[in-house]
Amino acid sequence: MLRFRKFFCACRGMRSASERVNITNDRRDAVIQTAGIVANQQLCREHYRLTLSLDMFPGAIPGQFVHLSSEPDSPSGYRTWDSSRRAPHDAHTAKRSAPMLRRAFSIAGLRDVSEGINLDVIYRVVGAATGWMKSLSVTDRLSLLGPLGNGFPIHNRKQVAWLVAGGVGLPPMLWLAEALRNASVRAVAFCGAQTSDLLALTLEPSVRPADDARCATLCCHEFAQNDAPVVISTDDGSLGFRGHIGAAMAVYHKANPVPQDDLVVYTCGPEPLMRFVAEYCVERDIECYACMERAMACGTGLCQSCVVPVRDHTDPDGWRYRLCCTEGPVFNAAEIIWEPIGSG
Amino acid sequence: MLAARGGIVVALLVKHGNRLTRFVPTPMLVSMKQTAAKDRSVDLSIDLAGIPMTNPIMTASGTSGYGPEYGELVDLTRLGAFVTKAISPEVRRGNPPERVVETTGGMLNAIGLANIGLDRFIEEKIPYLREVGIPVIVNVIGHSVEDYQTVCRRLDPIDCVAGLEINVSCPNVADGLEFGTDPQRLRQLIAALRPEVNQAKLIVKLSPNITDVTQTAAAAIEAGADALSMINTLCGMAINVDTLKPMLANRTGGLSGPAIKPVALYMVHRVYTQVARQAGIPIIGMGGISNWRDAVEFFLAGATAVAVGTALFVDPRTPIHICEGLTEYLRQRGLTSVRELVGQLK
Repeated sequence: MLRFRKFFCACRGMRSASERVNITNDRRDAVIQTAGIVANQQLCREHYRLTLSLDMFPGAIPGQFVHLSSEPDSPSGYRTWDSSRRAPHDAHTAKRSAPMLRRAFSIAGLRDVSEGINLDVIYRVVGAATGWMKSLSVTDRLSLLGPLGNGFPIHNRKQVAWLVAGGVGLPPMLWLAEALRNASVRAVAFCGAQTSDLLALTLEPSVRPADDARCATLCCHEFAQNDAPVVISTDDGSLGFRGHIGAAMAVYHKANPVPQDDLVVYTCGPEPLMRFVAEYCVERDIECYACMERAMACGTGLCQSCVVPVRDHTDPDGWRYRLCCTEGPVFNAAEIIWEPIGSG
Repeated sequence: MLAARGGIVVALLVKHGNRLTRFVPTPMLVSMKQTAAKDRSVDLSIDLAGIPMTNPIMTASGTSGYGPEYGELVDLTRLGAFVTKAISPEVRRGNPPERVVETTGGMLNAIGLANIGLDRFIEEKIPYLREVGIPVIVNVIGHSVEDYQTVCRRLDPIDCVAGLEINVSCPNVADGLEFGTDPQRLRQLIAALRPEVNQAKLIVKLSPNITDVTQTAAAAIEAGADALSMINTLCGMAINVDTLKPMLANRTGGLSGPAIKPVALYMVHRVYTQVARQAGIPIIGMGGISNWRDAVEFFLAGATAVAVGTALFVDPRTPIHICEGLTEYLRQRGLTSVRELVGQLK
């Protein structure tokens, strides 16, 4: 369903321009194009990595997302939204029904290959739409709209970055780790899952932590290639720290203090986790960015459904809604209002 | 490394022009105009209650923002008309999230008529819309007759505002539902607005959440409506069986998308045959239209123009694709004008 997508994006106007690098918010670069499928690989019990092949892709940065749907004449299935451009009698050869609306996924990786560009998205099978995605194979094609949204601000002046991800908040962090390495920022990843078999990372078997090494950093393939150690937590304690990954981050922080001015925290995952991390950072005056998730129909600012309440001192009431798709999905965590807001 | 952003887009126009969404920069526009010239034998232009439109395809209110948002994605001049989000006298923040959820063949929304308010709309959006140069239809919402009058009075004199679409049928606001479901109240509202709307055309958007839509249609026409648009969303809800809670924060929402197309077609056809045709009042048909064949169905049922809504969320270029498909359909059937289709259901 819509709500299981991850969107992220960066915060326009939160910091002065001189403090930011690598921020783009130019939707003029977004394109709709047909994507081939290179691989659709299972990573753990419910997570899959879909690797798409593209002829081209506009410049994008970690935190931005793509909006995917079926191609009507693809073996991946019949979609109601057949374009009139296509043959009058469109394919009804559904393997599994594609959803009507697009689904948004953060970009988990982007790289040049000899045939063009490969783009990774990682998804967890949770409902009908992701069930359809699981059924995709290399013979299918998708319609891809993107890149959309705003990416993570990366500050060269920060020496250390913590990437705090829970569950399906992991994908943007994989690509962010690569960008941070390129920016010479030292990254530590904190990855939480409900159970060890829901952790979409490849750990070295030899480095499974002892029970007493609660917040020891580990080596996992995905982050190791970007020189980032990883702290793992599971809700049931089946691997790493027992508890949520925000708590693991706090324990790690105590043992590994970093001057607040040198540290930036990026978080993505379930909202209670992001709230914990955001409030932890605000209390300590640590810069923090949260990648928000909202159900969205269009991803381009048309439907106005993906609102996030943020503090705004220019508003008479001190807050306003911002759109997760075009003004997010990454927000300055200190500005997000986490409490539920009534109708208005 | 990936190419620089600007450079790659330009290259794309040459190599992959048909893949662009908005992006319609100059080379693409040129090719589109050339295509249009070849279609001279087929005429898509219509006259909608006195509003001249180059084609019968418009956007549906609430699915394409105020204009600039959609204008970033497609060339607005390709539209027959642009219909804005609902405008109320005051700023409305709208409902808390979640505001949308996909259902089988459709989606529920409960945006809550979020809008920037009348003052900011006139100040910030009208100049943009005037510059685009196509007919603009502003959707109007209010809590009271006076609210509607206020918005209509301020917008009617603005030259680029070709129509005012009175939203009496949004199911998310109790006041709107009452106007739209009671023929007597609807008649009073439209009669009260009629003197305020002179330059623009007065369009009434009918609610489907009613037993007999011909009654409200007749009431609107009697009170002086220049055109009808139909249908608005159907009331609906979706429930999360794990949390036992509604999927939408507003609990209920309005259903749109292909799931409602049969209902919309039925209602357009009933109103056309029983009320509108005799009265000479045109209908703007909408409800689940996502390709040219859907549009043709609405024309055959009696619509003079059609609006595309939810389909824009999947592909913002849908109205342009519909125009192309419609042109080809007319040509293949030996018709010279889309007007020849209206009400031709056998």
